[in-house]
Amino acid sequence: MHRLLLVGNPNVGKSVLFKNLTGRYVTVSNYPGTTVEVVRARTQLGDRSVEVIDTPGINDLAAANDETRVTSAMLERHPEDVIVQVADARNLRRALLLTMQLAELDRPMVLVLNMIDELAAKGGRIDTAALAEELGIPVVRTVAVRNHGTERLAAALPRAAIPSLENVEVPHGAGEYERNRLRLARINELMEGTYSLRQPARPSLAVRLGFWAMHPVKGLLLGALALLGVFWFVGLFGAGTLVDLLETAVFEQRLSPAAITTLDKMLPFPHAHAIEAVPGSVAVPLSPVHEVELFAWQTEALRTGYTLTPGAELTAGQATRRFVHDFLVGEYGALTMALSYALAIVLPIVTTFFLLFSLLEDSGYLPRMAILVNRVFRLMGLNGKAVLPMVLGLGCDTMATMTTRILETRKERIVTTMLLALAIPCSAQLGVLLAMMAALSPAAALAWMLLMAAVLLTVGRLTARVFPGETSEFLLEIPPLRRPQLGNVWLKTRSRIGWYLREVIPLFVAGTAVLFLLDKLRLLERIASFGQPLVVGWLGLPREMANALLVGFLRRDFGAVYVLDAATGPEAILDPLQIFVAMVTITLFMPCFANFLMIAKEHGQRVAWAMTAFIFPFAFLVGGLALRVGRWLSGI
Amino acid sequence: MAERYLTCPLCGFGFEPEDALCAHGCPLRSHCALVRCPACDYEFAEQPGRGSWWRRLLGSGTAEATDGECEALSVDQLRAGQTASVLSLSGSRNKLAVFGLVPGIEITLLQRRPACVVQVGETELALDREIARRILVRRPGGPPAEPEGILGTGGG
Ligand SMILES: Nc1nc2c(ncn2[C@@H]2O[C@H](COP(=O)(O)OP(=O)(O)OP(=O)(O)O)[C@@H](O)[C@H]2O)c(=O)[nH]1
Ligand SMILES: [Zn+2]
Ligand SMILES: [Zn+2]
Repeated sequence: MHRLLLVGNPNVGKSVLFKNLTGRYVTVSNYPGTTVEVVRARTQLGDRSVEVIDTPGINDLAAANDETRVTSAMLERHPEDVIVQVADARNLRRALLLTMQLAELDRPMVLVLNMIDELAAKGGRIDTAALAEELGIPVVRTVAVRNHGTERLAAALPRAAIPSLENVEVPHGAGEYERNRLRLARINELMEGTYSLRQPARPSLAVRLGFWAMHPVKGLLLGALALLGVFWFVGLFGAGTLVDLLETAVFEQRLSPAAITTLDKMLPFPHAHAIEAVPGSVAVPLSPVHEVELFAWQTEALRTGYTLTPGAELTAGQATRRFVHDFLVGEYGALTMALSYALAIVLPIVTTFFLLFSLLEDSGYLPRMAILVNRVFRLMGLNGKAVLPMVLGLGCDTMATMTTRILETRKERIVTTMLLALAIPCSAQLGVLLAMMAALSPAAALAWMLLMAAVLLTVGRLTARVFPGETSEFLLEIPPLRRPQLGNVWLKTRSRIGWYLREVIPLFVAGTAVLFLLDKLRLLERIASFGQPLVVGWLGLPREMANALLVGFLRRDFGAVYVLDAATGPEAILDPLQIFVAMVTITLFMPCFANFLMIAKEHGQRVAWAMTAFIFPFAFLVGGLALRVGRWLSGI
Repeated sequence: MAERYLTCPLCGFGFEPEDALCAHGCPLRSHCALVRCPACDYEFAEQPGRGSWWRRLLGSGTAEATDGECEALSVDQLRAGQTASVLSLSGSRNKLAVFGLVPGIEITLLQRRPACVVQVGETELALDREIARRILVRRPGGPPAEPEGILGTGGG
């Protein structure tokens, strides 16, 4: 036994079990299709080192679509591995259908009945011994979320056996449907003596909440409530209170003055920094315009701006020191700009966002949204299922692009990928947007949302026209609503933040370095003049905003943070309409280079380039139109 | 069971004899020589191709004896909360079968709008109207239905 393949229906707890076995965390969420790629890790079981592989959930081994391709390939590639089938104990019927399909491979197997706690809560019973007898393989009971039964599984692994279940007799020429029907008939016999379930007389609160979430009226109300919660927690608390605190109290009042002082000592050249009073405050936001101030203070702090001592001539050595000084703590300094953006603005925003998002994911609410939006998505050649990748896109568009695999037809995958790259803001950017809405006006926020919805609809419709093909029928399994596991929510949030920062900090530093060099070479000024017709003429923004667009090409959330800084920082240079136009334009940019690579990987270079060629001009087009409509509206 | 796969001479709907309503609910049971297309309610003898042109023209079934007994409706015609047993599927049947949804199983309609949600065993499935229309179930006990509109919409 060298390798264990964890196989099973979607959303049965494979990834939790994987973590129990190996200690390695993979994303766990309460909806089918969380795992889209194979994940592997080595572990010590008894005295052996074993490789454990977590696979995407499947319902049908024979289905030849993208969703099951990864798992089937895995099963084929390693014919000598032990198959550990993970099953949702409540849903034994469906699990056994997969068991019978797997049994036909004639390979050693173990069956894990997971979620025994939920079975017990439903008053269900499974005669494990009898089932093991019938199937001829070890059957183990686990409660993966509480790490119960993992040792029992480890102990049962050496006893893994080839199922003794005789295969169903299938008449010649029968299709997969006929086979599955015969298998299910056989399963009914198997379950007769081994499985019983008593439906509770009164549905539990979770069940009733689950119904509400799908209800046309109550569901929308619940959705609006969830949205409001996200807005408050991320936009007001995260992007407001926390960002203020980190930006002023930590960076502007302490870190950057300290860094400036240290550097001035280490790299002396004749200059003097400005000293300004920096106000700081801690407040609990109630609404975009009301807040309860807890305390406020003011500190004198060194600023990045400085003047050279009049009359002093810089020697070559001093000029070099000045260069390094500016690179670290200057206007485009790695410390004063890149790190303060990444840690003081992006970090609190993504932390609050991922925390809420993980909660929502774990509750099982997201697939219920699919039911509500199905009709609307039909207009774009999609069905409700596409809401899953789109909502995940709010976390990260690149990851979500990979999740489009759960969609059935190529057309749906391409349309969704396109919309993700175009109009779905990802976490940090969404937070910045929410913060700006709070600073701007609720009307502008509403206008932004409506505009994005309109863009989604029109571009979705157009793309659906351009790419021929069918829209698949809407068929989606709805997971039960569950109380989120706080441990898992925390782990997931932490791993996402870690991953985000690892991706963001180097890029922010690199982008800032580019700005710094361009500035030193006096090219920034040139680019600004060069971009003048576009930035000033077409978008009606001040020339300096060329910088924001420039870094926005690199990563659009970088651009968004830049705009936020320009809009709400001490030297605000944007009026509300300009903020709106800048935000609209940058939201429509392609998210980042990683996203481009992912599109190329999933759909090929041609599609990736075609999308890029459409997205950037389109972003400027819509931005300019938004400006003109805005002017016209404020004119009347 | 490919050799026993039947095609309705009237509407071209393909189904298995087990799914034909007469074999299930008709008082004559297995002695009944007719099968009824689950999609359009047209009855014909099991040898395919015997539907005469005027029957196709008129398009309705024959045997009055089975009316009121062989009642079927599509899932989306159930009331929310009603449970019924599945008679037949059509279209991409295997997509439903992998969720355990096959003829003979009990299925509960949980809601109809904005999309149908059904419960099969411990699985909740959301589905389009179009799929729901192709899942035929036995009319659950209760007040008898109006004579027309049983399988109604469009007649196949
Ligand atoms: N109550 C209960 N919930 C569980 C148990 N095991 C897993 N879960 C929950 O089930 C959900 C799905 O778990 P995952 O590990 O992501 O399932 P998976 O099989 O990897 O899912 P896919 O990757 O989508 O195929 C999560 O919300 C878990 O918290 C269990 O033993 N009891
Ligand atoms: Zn998983
Ligand atoms: Zn017919």
